Amino acid sequence: MSFLRLQGIQKRYGPVSVINGVDIAAEAGEFVVFVGPSGCGKSTLLRMIAGLEEVTSGQVFIDGQDVTGTEPAKRQVSMVFQSYALFPHMSVRDNIAFGLKMSKVPKSEIDRQVAEAARILQMENLLDRRPRQLSGGQRQRVAIGRAIVRHPKLFLFDEPLSNLDAELRSQMRVEIARLHRDLGVTMVYVTHDQVEAMTLADRIVVLRGGKVEQIGSPQTLYDRPVNTFVAGFIGSPKMNFVAATLTGRDARTVTVAHSSLATPVRIALRDDAQTKGPSVGDTVTLGLRPEHLVLGDGPNRMILTADIVESLGGSTLIYGQTKARETMILEAPGRRTLTKGETLSVGFDAAQAYLFDATGQAI
Amino acid sequence: MSNPARRTNPGYGRWTPFWFLAPAVVALFLIGIYPTLFALVTSLRQYNLTRSRDGFPFVGLANYQAVLSDPTFWDTLARTARFFLVVMPVEIALGLCVALLLHRPGLNFLRALARVTLVIPLATTYAVVGLLGRLVFNRDFGVANSFINLFGFPALDWLGNSAGAFAAICVMDVWQWTPFCALIFLSGLSMVPVEIEEAAKLETTSHWALLTHVQLPYLLPGFTAMLILRSADVLKLFDVVFTMTRGGPGAATELISIYIQRVGFRVFDLGTASAQALLLLVITILLARLYIRFFYREIE
Repeated sequence: MSFLRLQGIQKRYGPVSVINGVDIAAEAGEFVVFVGPSGCGKSTLLRMIAGLEEVTSGQVFIDGQDVTGTEPAKRQVSMVFQSYALFPHMSVRDNIAFGLKMSKVPKSEIDRQVAEAARILQMENLLDRRPRQLSGGQRQRVAIGRAIVRHPKLFLFDEPLSNLDAELRSQMRVEIARLHRDLGVTMVYVTHDQVEAMTLADRIVVLRGGKVEQIGSPQTLYDRPVNTFVAGFIGSPKMNFVAATLTGRDARTVTVAHSSLATPVRIALRDDAQTKGPSVGDTVTLGLRPEHLVLGDGPNRMILTADIVESLGGSTLIYGQTKARETMILEAPGRRTLTKGETLSVGFDAAQAYLFDATGQAI
Repeated sequence: MSNPARRTNPGYGRWTPFWFLAPAVVALFLIGIYPTLFALVTSLRQYNLTRSRDGFPFVGLANYQAVLSDPTFWDTLARTARFFLVVMPVEIALGLCVALLLHRPGLNFLRALARVTLVIPLATTYAVVGLLGRLVFNRDFGVANSFINLFGFPALDWLGNSAGAFAAICVMDVWQWTPFCALIFLSGLSMVPVEIEEAAKLETTSHWALLTHVQLPYLLPGFTAMLILRSADVLKLFDVVFTMTRGGPGAATELISIYIQRVGFRVFDLGTASAQALLLLVITILLARLYIRFFYREIE
C-alpha cells in the first residue's frame, strides 16, 4: 500500500470548486513534486495533506492511516512555508526546538537534536540569533531545521524557494535534494518552477484547474506528455506548437504537412492512438522542443524567418516565424548572429516530434 | 557662483505654517495645558472659595503635605486600586476569551455582527451607564435580582449595602470595558501572521500553548496600551459611580475621583483638590512607565 494516498479529494469554497476529485499515491521515501500554474490548487492540496485545510470530500491516508479528520499536529508531518513562518520572538535555537518542547521531549535530548539539525544544515553559529538577523537563505534553513528535528513521516514544502534570489535558489535546491537523499523521508514539494520539479522529483504531479493532468517521472513527462498543457509546461524554453494537417495514415504512423515543412513528415503514433485518433485531412498540433531543433541539419526540414536572437552565453535562443506566422524557438549551441528576416533551414528528427489531436491529447 | 545651501523661496509666507498649526495648538493649550498649569498654581495656594475674603495666598507644598497625610485620600486611593484589581483581571480574561472566539475561522457574518455590537457599550456615555446600573441593580424591579431569583436566591438591596454597591459598580465597569479589551486583543491576534499560527498548529494541538508561545507576544503591545488607558480611566472614573451611588452607601464606592470632586466642589477647597489631582497625574505617569517597562515588547 502506498505511503501517502489521496483518494477522491475535492475542495470547495462555497460554490467555487478548487480541487476536483484528485487521486495521488506516493511510495515511502519518494520525492513527489506538485507543479502547475498559479491557482491550480497545488498549495491547497498540500495544505489538505498537512491538515491546515479541511477536505470537502475524499480521504487522505498517511502510512496506512486515514488522517482526513486528524489534527495537523497528530499527522506527524512537517511543513516548510514559502514565507519561512519562523517565530520572530524566538531565537533560532528556540524556533528549531519548539516542536520538541511541545512534545515534552527532555531538555538534553532537545539540545542534542537541535545541535544535530544545526550541523546538518551548517548553521551552528546562528543558533542564538533572531530570525530578523538572518538572510533569506538562512531563514529557510532554520525552517527546514525546525522540520527535521521532529523526525516526521512526511515533509511538506510549499514553494520554499520562491522568496530567494536565483543563485540562492539553486544552492538551496541542491541542499534539499541532498537532505532527501540523506534522510530518505517521503517529501511532497509544491512549486510553479518546472526546473525545480524536474531536478528534485522522483515523480511529478502536473495540476491544472484542480485536476491532475499527468503523474510520472520527470523523464516520462518530458518524453511522453499526455497533452499540450503538460508538453508546454515541462521543458524550458517551452515546446513549440504549430497547426499541421494530417495527410496520410497507416496502422502505426501518420504523415503531417505544414506550409513551412519542406516535405511532409512521417511520425509514429502512440500505442493507444493506433486504433483511434484523427483522420486524414484533420488538423493536428505538431510539437517540437527548442532543444531538438537543429540549425541547417536534420532529416526533416522546416523553413523559418529569423526574428530575434537571445544570447545566453553558452547557447543562443533563436526566435523564428513559420509561413503561417507561428513563433518558434530554437536553442542552438554557442553564439549565433542572425539578421531579422533571414531565412533559416531548421532540421529535426521525427522521433523527437510530438503530435496532439484537436482536443490537445497526445496521439 | 550661487551658494547651494541658500534657501529658495518655498512659495508661502513665513507665518503660513504657524497659522496651519495654530488651531490645534490653541485648542490643546486651552483644553490641556492651561488647566494643568492653573491646577499646578492653584495647588501651591490656599484656594478655598468659601473663604475668598482671606485671599489665595501662596502656601508652597502645604497642600501636598495635607493630602499625603490625609487618611481619607489614602483610603479612597486604596479603594480605587481594589476596584482596578477586581475589574481589570475580569475584563482581561473575558476580553481575551471573546477575542479568541471571534478569531476562530468560520461564521463570518455572525463574527462581523459581534464585532459591531462590541462597540455599543464603549459608545455609551458614562452617565448613561451609571443610570443603567441603577435600573439593573434596583431592589424592586432590577434585572440583577430577577437573575438571582432564577437560582432561588432572595432579592438583594444591591445599592443599599457596601459590598453590593461595590460589586454593582464593578459589574457595570466590566460590562462597559470588556468589549474594549476584546477589541484590543482581537487586533493583536489579527497581527499574528497566518503561516506562523499554522506552523505552530503543526507542532501542537494545545490552544493554550498556541496562545502563550505564539500569540501572546503579539498581544503585549495592545495589552500594555490597555493597562495604561484603563489605569488612567479608573483613576478619573467619576460619572458612572456618581450617577449610580454618589460614592455611597457611606464611602463604600467613593473612589479617588469622587473624593477629589467632593473636596473641590462641595468643600470648595480647590487648592487641596488640585494637589490631589496632580498627584493622580504623577501616579498615572508612573504606572504607565512601569507597564511599559514590564509588559511592552516589540515584535520584529
